[in-house]
Amino acid sequence: MIYSETLLEHFRAPRNVGLMRNPDAVGESQDSTCGDLARFYLRVADGRVTEARFQTYGCGPSIAASSLATELARDRAVEELMGLTPAVVEEALGGLPDERRHAASLVVDALHAAAAQYRTARRPEVSRV
Amino acid sequence: MRRVYLDHNASTAVRPEVLAAMLPYFAEQYGNPSSIHGFGREARDAVDAAREEIAGFMGVAKEEFVFTSGGTESDNLAIKGVAHAHRQGHIITSQVEHHAVLRTCQALERAGFAVTYLPVDGHGRVDPDDVRRAVRPDTILISVMYVNSEVGTIMPLGEIGRIAREHGVVFHSDAVQAFGKIRFDVRELGLHLLSSSSHKIYGPKGLGGLYIRKGTKMVSIQHGGDHERRRRAGTENVPAIVGFARAVSLRARDMDEEALRVRRLRDRLWEGVRARVPDVRLNGHPTERVPGTLNLSFRGLEAESLILALDLKGIGASAGSACTSGSLEPSYVLTAMGVPTEWSLGALRCSLGRSTSEEDIDYVLEVLPAAVERIRAVSPAAVTA
Repeated sequence: MIYSETLLEHFRAPRNVGLMRNPDAVGESQDSTCGDLARFYLRVADGRVTEARFQTYGCGPSIAASSLATELARDRAVEELMGLTPAVVEEALGGLPDERRHAASLVVDALHAAAAQYRTARRPEVSRV
Repeated sequence: MRRVYLDHNASTAVRPEVLAAMLPYFAEQYGNPSSIHGFGREARDAVDAAREEIAGFMGVAKEEFVFTSGGTESDNLAIKGVAHAHRQGHIITSQVEHHAVLRTCQALERAGFAVTYLPVDGHGRVDPDDVRRAVRPDTILISVMYVNSEVGTIMPLGEIGRIAREHGVVFHSDAVQAFGKIRFDVRELGLHLLSSSSHKIYGPKGLGGLYIRKGTKMVSIQHGGDHERRRRAGTENVPAIVGFARAVSLRARDMDEEALRVRRLRDRLWEGVRARVPDVRLNGHPTERVPGTLNLSFRGLEAESLILALDLKGIGASAGSACTSGSLEPSYVLTAMGVPTEWSLGALRCSLGRSTSEEDIDYVLEVLPAAVERIRAVSPAAVTA
């Protein structure tokens, strides 16, 4: 198997999957070459992430990276999320084959988008529905 | 954990009888068939007997069958061999050929030949009328596969063969996915050249064949000794040749029975999936399809994640798309068939064969619907809708 046990574990039993009602921030990223799509929802209190959820369309590593990223995001300050890099996600996943590096950047871009939305709007569009 | 192999179109297990037939030719009868001494003659006899066996199965003269290193070499020899014998001209092929044909034709285009890539219909079939319309005065070759490896659709070769005959054009078919799986007669089909492969029919890898009808104008593309009547240089792979012939003789005996059994299992798999999973479609021809192939598309998921989920449960199937270089390309075969991207990205190919049992299908029907549901549950609604 080309994937780490950690990655497979997150793929087998992804954490924090699915929609969040009235999130404080939503961020999305689509890999233009690959077509993979990741969306993260954040619940924030006092500037810290109390809950993160995701929905991802993509290959196994993208799904696993999304699951892992929700755990990485939790209990972090929103400002800290902006500093999260693909390398951190990749390392936490136990490495990624070259042709699957997009999985780490996809989820980091989506989390950055969510953090940026929180910073600028503080009122996500979804909460108006 | 149970292991289920559903990738027989990729390769198959060498049958025990085939392996047993091959073994003496590694370390006991290891002579070079070109040598004139006793060691060489033993090897030559084995190659001759193998050629006779396969030619007999095909109903052709044994001089018309050439051993190669596999389907890819057979396709290269057929297409380049005819092209270079004519020096210039026009080739007709289809958009859904194996890369061994497509990329050979593309290479010939760069060398100055003209190539027409015919479209296919929604079931993956070339329309013979399109072939007729594509023929030009300078057409030197028509090359259309017999059975598509991804979807299993059987091409209307008989009608295409008649058109080739009417126009006096050489007709080749990459029959790697048909040879030893369905019965056919190369002469009835009007073929001059037909590529076959050993490891798709329970023979060893690294061995294939090319039927070359007597009198077909072509040149060799691999130069060296006088092997294979100067049509393919290189010392014969004697153990594999013996194995291929044994595999063919076994298929000759039980392919009809196997076809019935495998077709029934495949149809049960399709009915079972259809009853348990919403948003699924069948890719390929409903009836004109080889018995073992089932290509399914699940909307709203990317096949690669499904392959991984099945792999973790011991099931080996293949995807119609591949995210190999970070760019997810839908299968060119499904695209040519007009399958929308939202479906083609979720295409799963299950190819059944000798090893497939009722229990295997039960197990897949237990695992697959849950895997699809789980991956769809992870997906954003915008994509699944």
